[in-house]
Amino acid sequence: MGTKWKWGLSSGTAVLIGVVILAQSHWRAERLQNRLLELAPEAVAADLSLVRYASNQARPLFAMHCAACHGADMRGNPALGAPNLTDDVWLYGDGSLYDIERTLLYGIRSGADNAHNEADMPAFGLRGILTESQIRAVVQYLLQLNGRPYDVQAANEGRAVYIGAGNCADCHGPDARGNNDYGAPDLTRNVWNSGADPQALYRAIYSGQHRIMPGWRGTLTLEQIRALATYVYTVSHST
Amino acid sequence: MTRVVRIFLYRPQRALMLPALAVFVGLLVAGFGLLRPAPRPLLVVPPGYVALINQKGILLSDFRSQVETETSKSFADATPTERARVLREMINEELLVQRGMVLDLPETTTEVRSNMAIGVNTQVAAPVLAYEPTDAELRAFYDKTRDKYTAPGAMTLQDLVLHVGGYQNADQSLSQALADAAEAVYQLRSGAAVDYVMVHFGFMRSGRAADGEELDFAVKLHLGDKLYQVATTLHDGEVSEPVLDWDGVHILLMQRHQFPKVADFTAVRDRVYLDFRTAATNRATEENLKLLRSQADILVAPGQSQ
Repeated sequence: MGTKWKWGLSSGTAVLIGVVILAQSHWRAERLQNRLLELAPEAVAADLSLVRYASNQARPLFAMHCAACHGADMRGNPALGAPNLTDDVWLYGDGSLYDIERTLLYGIRSGADNAHNEADMPAFGLRGILTESQIRAVVQYLLQLNGRPYDVQAANEGRAVYIGAGNCADCHGPDARGNNDYGAPDLTRNVWNSGADPQALYRAIYSGQHRIMPGWRGTLTLEQIRALATYVYTVSHST
Repeated sequence: MTRVVRIFLYRPQRALMLPALAVFVGLLVAGFGLLRPAPRPLLVVPPGYVALINQKGILLSDFRSQVETETSKSFADATPTERARVLREMINEELLVQRGMVLDLPETTTEVRSNMAIGVNTQVAAPVLAYEPTDAELRAFYDKTRDKYTAPGAMTLQDLVLHVGGYQNADQSLSQALADAAEAVYQLRSGAAVDYVMVHFGFMRSGRAADGEELDFAVKLHLGDKLYQVATTLHDGEVSEPVLDWDGVHILLMQRHQFPKVADFTAVRDRVYLDFRTAATNRATEENLKLLRSQADILVAPGQSQ
């Protein structure tokens, strides 16, 4: 066999192997993609190969679509009221992959019917519902609830406002543990989307909270949304 | 100089080869596009969906959410019968929606059109509503739209007129009428009875003032601008100076004047807040319409305007 033939044969074999490898990786990706959507969200979270695949798909998507609000490190942005996605505190639902996916699909107060739009935190100060001193008292009560330094007398007044004039208990509950059905955060965990210092707490009560998150259905594919949900779920449940 | 360049420079007949090749490839691609069979309809439900209705999918996630809402159970706890019922309902709804599209309901049904318009406006307004104004912004908005928070004033008054010149055959000269009116004003302010002054100087009721109380805008409408301006300066029990109008010399007697009252900002801040947000929403929807108009091709028939 001549040199030319040998050279041709080995090149052909190399190309063939390359094609086989490419086809195999394509086939594998397609299989994972289908499985990602076929399985129930809970089952996806338990499948390591799927979680790895989804995370790889999701990272660039997160950087492109989510990082602007939630930060590249996923730890949120108090200035925008965007929550930290690396902890296990959830405004809506219990942080299951299914709940995260629902939020991704339709958003929060996005204008879509299926979006989370159950309640708003009223602007208590701006609207004149509470006075400034009442709001300051509520802030002291919140500090007390979270084991932070507080003024005893003001905190007692704040508790009265919390139960009474402020009607805070209606959404956040008498024990202030919140209600994930309509996005009322737990006020006892010292996790604050709009900042933790007393002035930020005051501002949140004074000006209210009406944050929005867009729904991604229609912009991203189902597979991309499932991948993002899986990624966020994995990050939040591994720290 | 490379070989290719040499070919093109010195072998002109070969220069046609590349364009010809390009044309051939182009034709090949076009032919493939034209003759390629249409995408085949899906024969199985793709992953992530629970059903396909005329190739339109129902999301598995939506199905699960609907089952949980309707049964008040977790999806896992819902019985197969319950799930089947919900799925049937969702399929029925999808069929009706698709039928609605075939019937072109947005074109023919006011309710559908209106709800679609509301839906779009809601989406446009969503980001605007996320913005919480500051106190200063609210105050500025209040100052700018103070009229909204002003309770209208009201007046109870009499309007006497002394016709002059040829008007209704009055024989008084203007100077005489003005002098009489000045005297009448003096007497009225000194406590003379209205009826006495009317008889003594020849005044009549102008018929422009209502018998009872009227809101400011109605007083303005009836008295006319000139007399209304005078009326707005009078307090309870005051008598105006003589006012010359087109039909004679008038005297206004203010019995009761309730001045317009602007509500204090703190008293109406909740209303101001809601109005601020409504105004922001309206601005957003107007901007959206402006954008849509700028992108649309709108032709209006001759003789019509929009």
